Amino acid sequence: MSERTDVSKVEESMPERRRGDLATISPLVNIFENDEEILLHADMPGITKDAVDINIDNGRLVLSGVRKLEKHGAANWEEFGDVEYRRVFSVPQTIDVSRVNAELKEGVLKLKMPKFEKAKPRQIEIK
Amino acid sequence: MWTTIGDLDRMFGAMDLLRSRMNRVFTDSDRLYGNDIGWRLAADGSPRTNLYDNGDHFIVVAEVPGMAKDDIDVKIQGNYLELSGSRKSESPEGYKIHRTETPSATFTRSFTIPADVDVEKVEASLQNGLLTLTLPKAEAAKPKQISIS
Repeated sequence: MSERTDVSKVEESMPERRRGDLATISPLVNIFENDEEILLHADMPGITKDAVDINIDNGRLVLSGVRKLEKHGAANWEEFGDVEYRRVFSVPQTIDVSRVNAELKEGVLKLKMPKFEKAKPRQIEIK
Repeated sequence: MWTTIGDLDRMFGAMDLLRSRMNRVFTDSDRLYGNDIGWRLAADGSPRTNLYDNGDHFIVVAEVPGMAKDDIDVKIQGNYLELSGSRKSESPEGYKIHRTETPSATFTRSFTIPADVDVEKVEASLQNGLLTLTLPKAEAAKPKQISIS
């Protein structure tokens, strides 16, 4: 939880960033891992590619983005609106940040995080 | 005798500590999930929707992340709209699963549109995980300009 506190402190020192009245929600995620890589899939319906911000720094992955919905006429009912997606994860240092690859498809952000070659498990043969 | 009271005191002290820790657990998790009302709605896998009235047509927008157009069914009859679909569970081969939070379930959700819809002219599009339906109102339900004679 101390990580979360750090994050809020950073935001307070950035007055140019206006959070407005937007509700912040954590996107739901699926996380998978094998020997080569970690996959992280986050549901961010309605978000566009340009609005997503992915930041990996010092073992911390921050996903964020603001969803602006297209404005239509008078609402009869509205169960969702403009939101800020935001979620922070710890990622192991074995991730090769330079090779991380992100794709946005059907409102799902798919991150592929390969591990360093030397971090992969190795079978040691006994001679 | 005094030692028993001392023990009791210590026990209550420990309970207070536990209670304050428990309280903090809840505020922490609230902060984690934000204060979005939709969080709960989405839990059963039914998509959240918005309905807008634009005079001569309605627009329905639904959140359907991770679904392709073949996964979604839209049925309309008069002023009855039914959305159904399914989201396949994601489990790529050869990967260990750490976390699956997204619902992988079939859903059906039905709505009563405030007026009859011209079924022939309904259009649907899917973009960025949002399904947008444009539902033109039936002639009788459209607003009419009345000129004063």
